[in-house]
Amino acid sequence: MRAALAACIVLLLETHGPAAQQLASKDVAAHVGKAVRLMEEHAFSEAAAEFERALAIDPNNDEVRIQYATCLFAQERDGEARKQFEIERQRLGDRPGLNYYLGRLDLRASDFTAAIKKLAPLEPDRALSDVSLYLGAAYMSIGQQARALECLERAARNDPHNPEVHYRLGRVYSLAGRTDDADREYKLYRECQEIQRVANQDGHECRHALRTQPIAQARIVCQRIADPNDSYRLILLGELYSQNGAFSDAIEPLRQAVKLDPESFEAWHSLGLSLFSLKRYQEALPPLEKAASLNPQFFKTLTLLASTLHALGDDDAALPVLERAHKLNPDDAQVTARLAQLQGTLQGKR
Amino acid sequence: MTRRDMLWLLASGARAQQSTGMASRGLGPQPRGKPSGLPFHARFTDIAAKAGLREPVIYGPERRVDYVLESMGCGVAFFDYDNDGWLDVFILSGTRREGPVAGATNRLYRNNRDGTFTDVTQEAGLTRQDWACGVTIGDYNNDGFEDIFISQWGQNVLYRNNGDGTFTDVTREAGLLHEGRRWGTGCTWVDYNRDGLLDLFVAHYLVFGFQSVPATGQNPNCNFRGVPVYCGPLSLQPERCLLYRNNGDGTFTNVTQSAGIDRAAPTFGLTAMAADYLGTGWPDIYVASDSMPSLLFRNQRDGSFTEQGLELGLALNEDGTEQAGMGLGLGDFDTDGALDLLKTHFSGDTAGLYRNAHRGGFEDVTLRSGLGVETRYVGWGAGIQDFDNDGLPDLFWATGGVYPEVEKSHPDYQYKTPRVLFRNLGNGRFEELTSVAGPAIAEGHSSRGVAFGDFDNDGDMDILIMNVNEPPSLLRNDVSGSAHWLKVRLFGTKSNRSAIGTTVIATYGGRRQAQAVTAQSSYLSVNDRRLHYGLGAAQSADLEIWWPSGLRESVKGVSADRLVTICEGAGVTKVESFEAPRQRQ
Repeated sequence: MRAALAACIVLLLETHGPAAQQLASKDVAAHVGKAVRLMEEHAFSEAAAEFERALAIDPNNDEVRIQYATCLFAQERDGEARKQFEIERQRLGDRPGLNYYLGRLDLRASDFTAAIKKLAPLEPDRALSDVSLYLGAAYMSIGQQARALECLERAARNDPHNPEVHYRLGRVYSLAGRTDDADREYKLYRECQEIQRVANQDGHECRHALRTQPIAQARIVCQRIADPNDSYRLILLGELYSQNGAFSDAIEPLRQAVKLDPESFEAWHSLGLSLFSLKRYQEALPPLEKAASLNPQFFKTLTLLASTLHALGDDDAALPVLERAHKLNPDDAQVTARLAQLQGTLQGKR
Repeated sequence: MTRRDMLWLLASGARAQQSTGMASRGLGPQPRGKPSGLPFHARFTDIAAKAGLREPVIYGPERRVDYVLESMGCGVAFFDYDNDGWLDVFILSGTRREGPVAGATNRLYRNNRDGTFTDVTQEAGLTRQDWACGVTIGDYNNDGFEDIFISQWGQNVLYRNNGDGTFTDVTREAGLLHEGRRWGTGCTWVDYNRDGLLDLFVAHYLVFGFQSVPATGQNPNCNFRGVPVYCGPLSLQPERCLLYRNNGDGTFTNVTQSAGIDRAAPTFGLTAMAADYLGTGWPDIYVASDSMPSLLFRNQRDGSFTEQGLELGLALNEDGTEQAGMGLGLGDFDTDGALDLLKTHFSGDTAGLYRNAHRGGFEDVTLRSGLGVETRYVGWGAGIQDFDNDGLPDLFWATGGVYPEVEKSHPDYQYKTPRVLFRNLGNGRFEELTSVAGPAIAEGHSSRGVAFGDFDNDGDMDILIMNVNEPPSLLRNDVSGSAHWLKVRLFGTKSNRSAIGTTVIATYGGRRQAQAVTAQSSYLSVNDRRLHYGLGAAQSADLEIWWPSGLRESVKGVSADRLVTICEGAGVTKVESFEAPRQRQ
C-alpha cells in the first residue's frame, strides 16, 4: 500500500508539478483532507467515499481523481480504479504514473501482454523502482523466461531486501535449470524473510519496551532494529521512537533513512515532527517542507510546517500553509482558532 | 502486503487490532470474462437423503465456535471394503466439547448397488465418537482387503479389515500409540522405501488443548471484522510430521528421525498426499500447510526425505507468500503427462493451481488459468477430475465458513457457501460454472472433506461431501452426450496390493493424461482408487503404468467405456462394462 501511495505521489507531481497544490474549493479540500486521513488509517472504503464527494463537487479535478483511483487500486476495486485512471489518461494523455497503475491493473487481470506494453517503458524511471519486479512477473507468466530474468535481476539490484524478488528470481533460475543460481536466490529469500520476521518481532518488542520501560532500557531493545543500510528499518525505528515521545532518539535513524530514501514522505515527516517537538525549529523546517512537497494533502504535515514557520517568526509564510491545512480539515477547532489568530496578527501588523 | 506496509503497520500498531490468525491475501475476485457458451455435459444432484446418508456429521457447536478444533471438520472416503466392485462410503465424525452426542459416530455405509446405502457401522465394529480428522485407506498387510487409518485429536486409530465385513482396532499391537494428545490431520499410506509394504505418514495441525488455547473472546486480537472469534493457527504452536515404516508383520516403527522428516520446520499441516510428483519412480509427500509454507518431502531413494517445497515451487504462491493450505487435488489439467496440483485456501485468496514444469519443479499458474475470479469462500476438499468426460480434467472444491457467529452481525459473510466448479477450456484456462452444472453446485453448506468416485458405476465421477453439523452431500453426476470414458483398477503384486503410488498415463485423442493412485487427497479424504479418464470422442486409449516397484508396463488400445483391471506384471486381467444404472432416485 505504501509503495502504491508513493507511486501516487509521483503521479501527482508529474501531473501538476510540486507547486500546484491548490484545490478548487474549500469543500473539495475538506473532503480530500478527510480522505487522506482515512487512508492513513487504512479506512479505504470510507476514504473512497470522501473522494467521491469531492469529485461530485469538482469532477474535473485531476488531482482528486488520481487520488481516488489510487485509493480504489489499494482496495483492489480494480474495475473502478481502471475506469478512473482511464478517464485521467484521456484527459492528460499517456503519463508514466498512469501507465504504472494501468500496467499493474493489467497484470492483476492476467493481461500480461498489455501489462508489458505499459510497464516496459517505465523501467528506467528511478522513481518507479518496483516496475522491474512487475515486469518480470509479467514476462514469467507468458513464458518469456529470458526477459523475466533480466527484469528480476534488475529488481534484485533495486530492492535487495524484497523476498518476493528473490523468490521469483529463484523460480526463473529453476525453470532454466540453473540450480546453483536458484539455490542462491532461495537462500536470499529465506534470509530476507528471516530479517523481516526478526524486524517484526523487534518492532513489537521495541514498541512494548517504549511503553513499559525507562527510555535507557527501551533503547537497548530498540537498537536491534537499526540497520544503517536498510531505510525501512531505520524509518520503523525512528517512527517508533517518535510516536512514543523519544524524539531525540528518533532523529539519527530518520536522518540516515532520508539519505538512503530521499523520497520517503514518512521519514521526512517523522524527522520534522521530532525536531519540532524538540523545539529545534530551524532544523525542522527543511524536512517538513520536503514532506509537504511529497504529500501536499497531509494535514498533520501542513499544521507542523505552519507552526514551525510561525515559531521562526515567518507568519507571512505560515499563513498560506495553515490556510491549506484548514481547507483540508475545516472541522479542526485548533487549526481554525490558530488561523484566525494568525490572520489577526498579520492584519494588525499591516 | 509489501515489506514496507508490514513495517508501517507495525509502527502504527494497526496490525494487532485485527487478526483472524490465518494467512489470506485479502484479494477480491478478478472480473469474469464473457462466458464461453460451450455446453457442459455434467449435472449434479444431491441425492444423499434418498440414498440413505441422512445422519448429520457432528463437529463442534452449531452457532458459535470457541476453538479452532471445532471448526476444522473431517474427511470422508469412497472405498470398496467388501470387494464387491461397488464403492462404499466412510464418513468421519467429530463430537462436542460438552460431551458425547447421541448417535454421533464415524459411519460406514455399504453400497446396495441400487443407488442407496445401508449403515453398517455397528456390525463392522467401527462405532466411535471422537475428534476424527483425516482418513487414509490402504491394504497395509496385503491381505486383499482395504484397511482404515484415522487421524484425530487425541489418539490415531488403525482398523484392520478382517475380510468378513468387520474391522478390528489394532492400533496398540501395530505400535501406533503415541504419547499425549496430538492433533493428527493429514495421513497417507505411502510405500516410501518401495518394499511392497505400505508405510504411514501423519501430519499434525498444531498443539491443542481446551485448557491451553484461548477460547473465543479471551484474546482480543482474535477477531474477524470486529467480531471476537477463535484464535487461528498463527497465534498457536505448529507441530512436526511423523513417518512410520511398515515392518511387514503387522507392526510399524517410527522412523521420523532417521528418514529426515523431523528436519523440516514444524508446520500447521493439513492434507497429506503422496505421489511420484517428479517422475523419478519414488513417491514424495506433499503437505498442505495452513498459513505457512507447504511442505514437499522429496524422496532421496535411500529411506530418507529432504523438504524441498520452496525449491520445487510448491511452498508458496507466485508472489512468494504463504497461503492457508487446506485441501489438495492431484491430476493433469493440461494433459501433458505430468501430475499437476490444486490447493485450496482461506477466503480472500485464490485456490492455487500448480503446473508441473518437469525439471524446474512446479509453476503457479493460478491467475493466468483464470482461477482469480473466485476468492470469496474458504476452500476445503478439492479435486482435479474430468466431470463431463470431455478428456479435459476440471476443478472442483467444496467451501464453507469457519465462523458461524459472524453471519449475525455481518450478513454479507456467509457461513454456508456454495461449491466451486471450474470447467477446463483446454487452452490452459478454466471457466467457473455456477448454474449450468445442476442445483447441487449452488447449494450452501459449510463443507470440509470431499471424496471423488463413481459410486453408481455409470461411468462418471460423483462427489461425496462432509458438511459440518449436517448430513453429508452425495452429488450424483449424470453426464449426457456421447463422450467416452475409461476406468483403470490396479492391483500390485510386487508393489503394495492397493497399488498406492502408481502413476498411469493414458494417451487418447492426441492427449497424454497422468493420474495417480493416492491414499489421501482432497481434504483429509480418500478418493475412489479406480482411476477415471474421460476420453472425449476417443474410443480407446493406450496406458502406461508406472508401478511403485519400478516396473513399467504398457497396454495398447484399451477400448473405451469399460473398467479394466490390471495386475502388476500380468497386464489386463479383467474387462467390465457397466450395466445401465438400475434405478435413478
